Amino acid sequence: MAKFRLLPDEQLARSPFKQLWREFSRQHSAIAGLLIFSLFFLLVLLSAVLTPHDPYLQNDSLLLLPPSWSQQGLVQYPFGTDDLGRDLFSRLLVGARYTFGIAMITVMGALVMGLLLGTLAGMTKGLKSSVLNHVLDLALTIPSLLLAIIIVAILGPGLQNTTWAIMLALLPQFVHGIRNAIAEQLNQDYVIAYRLDGANNWQVFSRIILPNIWEKLTLMATMALSTATLDIAALGFLGLGAQAPTAEWGAMIADSLDLIYIAPVSVAIPGLLIFLAVLSVNLVGDGLRNAAKKRREN
Amino acid sequence: MSILLEVRNLHKTYRKQAGLFRQRSICALNDVSFSLAEGKTLAIVGETGSGKSTLAKLLVGIEKPDSGEILLAGTVAKISHYRQYNHMIRFIFQDAAKSLNPHQKVGQMLDDVLRFSTVLDSHQRRQKIRMTLKQLGLLDEHSEYYPHMFSGGQLQRVALARALILDPKLLILDEALTALDPSLRAQIVNLLLDLQQKSGLAYLLITNHLRLVKHIADDLLVLHQGMTLDYGTTAQVFSHPQHDYSRKLINSLTA
Amino acid sequence: MLLLDIKNLTIELKTPDALVRAVDRVNLSLREGEIRGLVGESGSGKSLIAKAIVGVLNKRWQVTADRFSWRGQDLLNLSYDEQRKIIGRDIAMIYQEPSRSLDPTAAILEQLEEAVPDHLLDGPWWKRSYLRRRKAIGLLHKVGIRDHQSVLQSVPYQLSEGICQKIMIAMAIAKNPKLLIADEPTTALESTTQAQLFRLLASFNQLKGMSVLLISHELESIARYTQSLSVLYCGQLVEAGETAAILKQPYHPYTHALIKSVPEFQPNLQPKTPLYALPGSIPVLQHLPIGCRLGPRCPNARKECVKTPSLERLQNHYFSCHFPLTGKND
Repeated sequence: MAKFRLLPDEQLARSPFKQLWREFSRQHSAIAGLLIFSLFFLLVLLSAVLTPHDPYLQNDSLLLLPPSWSQQGLVQYPFGTDDLGRDLFSRLLVGARYTFGIAMITVMGALVMGLLLGTLAGMTKGLKSSVLNHVLDLALTIPSLLLAIIIVAILGPGLQNTTWAIMLALLPQFVHGIRNAIAEQLNQDYVIAYRLDGANNWQVFSRIILPNIWEKLTLMATMALSTATLDIAALGFLGLGAQAPTAEWGAMIADSLDLIYIAPVSVAIPGLLIFLAVLSVNLVGDGLRNAAKKRREN
Repeated sequence: MSILLEVRNLHKTYRKQAGLFRQRSICALNDVSFSLAEGKTLAIVGETGSGKSTLAKLLVGIEKPDSGEILLAGTVAKISHYRQYNHMIRFIFQDAAKSLNPHQKVGQMLDDVLRFSTVLDSHQRRQKIRMTLKQLGLLDEHSEYYPHMFSGGQLQRVALARALILDPKLLILDEALTALDPSLRAQIVNLLLDLQQKSGLAYLLITNHLRLVKHIADDLLVLHQGMTLDYGTTAQVFSHPQHDYSRKLINSLTA
Repeated sequence: MLLLDIKNLTIELKTPDALVRAVDRVNLSLREGEIRGLVGESGSGKSLIAKAIVGVLNKRWQVTADRFSWRGQDLLNLSYDEQRKIIGRDIAMIYQEPSRSLDPTAAILEQLEEAVPDHLLDGPWWKRSYLRRRKAIGLLHKVGIRDHQSVLQSVPYQLSEGICQKIMIAMAIAKNPKLLIADEPTTALESTTQAQLFRLLASFNQLKGMSVLLISHELESIARYTQSLSVLYCGQLVEAGETAAILKQPYHPYTHALIKSVPEFQPNLQPKTPLYALPGSIPVLQHLPIGCRLGPRCPNARKECVKTPSLERLQNHYFSCHFPLTGKND
């Protein structure tokens, strides 16, 4: 009985989402993460417009141009050029589309598929549910990168195959997480209450379960996004993902690895970008998790 | 006074997987019969494991009885088709906070209830929601509130609104009054008594709070390990309990 | 001699938005061998006070008091270690849900043995474990568990809440405390075990002179077992005094309402008639009324009630109300 419930202020926190945002915005690191994340997101959308040069244009007269801050550098080429005379800055901007953008698409795809399968597994009982579960549990025992490599090895290298591979590799954890979240929701009193009100399965799902697992879904998606970004970069680096001319960050690092003593910038900056992308996603994910925890405590 | 609900020889056994092939059966209800007239209150008391929650589940149709009949207003009802009966028998949960979806405004929730079980159009539904909220001493603005914005007593009122909006004949209260603070409980009890007088609502009170039972229940049924020990009017059971267990229960109150 | 003497205890919660005063200048005293009831609804701060006494409130709470003495020693001025030493020796506490306060993975025997302090075992060190075991069994017998063999080998989930609560009491009395704080000890129990438990506490009080602070939100369940009573509302002490006197003639409208809302205290009340209830609901912590916190709900509130009433005394009966109820206009 004697528990202190601090009722939230009416103006400040009406809906659960606003409450979540309020807790989220109190964390500086999470906000910083969100800013960097949105920057990358804008880059994905607008990189084609922003590039000063054609990222694939080979300029024979400007091979291995140093970055603009060195003596020999040119202002038009902020990070210099690579060994084929392509503008590094433009390539990096476009690279966001591959590494980060495709990671996002992969996660979205995996999320949609996971939601379908997870719902099926969560809302059904008996044999169907357990078959679905245990088959996917088997897949969970293999790390996602390894799984992606196996799938690429079968399908053959290439960016499109990588996308499919990573999507499939992410799928088991989504299905598993969603199934658990749904099963947890189905145990709640309010689901029974809703059924007694006369709701059918679809109404229970759309009105209760979906809004209540939304938070968990976002959390899972952010965690998966950092994995996907790293996987795409790693596969690109190994030469299994994006192929040579594509300006994918991982592939770019692999390309310029031979030149690391002559042009260290061409290795360092893509690496830094991958690091920042993953960091921002993780910061946002952590912030969300903390905010959700704090809200539950209230 | 017409009989609203009659229960005849209800049995329910649960099977639990004890080993790979062995099953253990637990008898939750054993030959329980009672009847409840319109506008009356029947209290069912018993300790945990006495089968009173099972009985509630059978009556609202979450689970099916193994054998026995449930008669609703004279006709045998298959309550497990609860979409057919859910507007007559409504269930109030022990914890109001847990029975409300945290991501849904109260007004939306009430609207859904009406949408699922009635044929009212959106205007009529809004009218009905407003009326029900007012009847329970809540404000119009409250329909824009999320459950976490209510205090304990108000939540119980919201839960009652959800039940009463369908104009039921019978309300099953599963320990719904036990956890409330005394002054709030008095308010809710008054509200329930008032509703009963005005609209002839019948209550099935599942509780182990005997003090309240004495005050608000007409009839009393003592349940122990799935069996009916004592069944009669409250005054009668209180003054002349037949079984040792009932006597112990009643003595614990007055000793 | 006063065992516990607290004057103007204030407990505040630091939230990101504001400082919330959850307990507002509450006095509480306990004599040796007394059973005192602490009654209040949710949000009244009764559990906070209990936690403040045993010093387990976390950093978010700020505790201040004009006097906070335990057997003449001011607890708040002591260092943390000394505080823990005194509290650990003299005060024991039991909680609302016993099965959650026990270690779910350890057998009862282990947990009970651990509760027995070393200085109570007199014997050479090689006999210690044997003595400890004897003591644990003795404790179980004292709380009325005869079948000690099977209980000692059990793990908490195998036992009923009632037995678990008895074990909690056994662990609490293992160190012969001067004061036992029971925070809603019977809420989770069946009504038949509730009475047993209260009788058990009362018998320890009589046999060992152990003081008991009995906390509950229901006046009727503890009234029979307590000698004196403190009634809280929203963190303010509204009335304190001897139980019988308060039940006979409450001075504060809140206590009055509390007593009248219970059918048990109203023998002449017909069944199915409305109960007496205060209008409105308990205010939330951020929106506490100024002055007397009962103000908006009080049937006899007047202009003066926006000022916090001071605690007045009539013989041994304390109350804080500008317009106390007297016998006449009841």
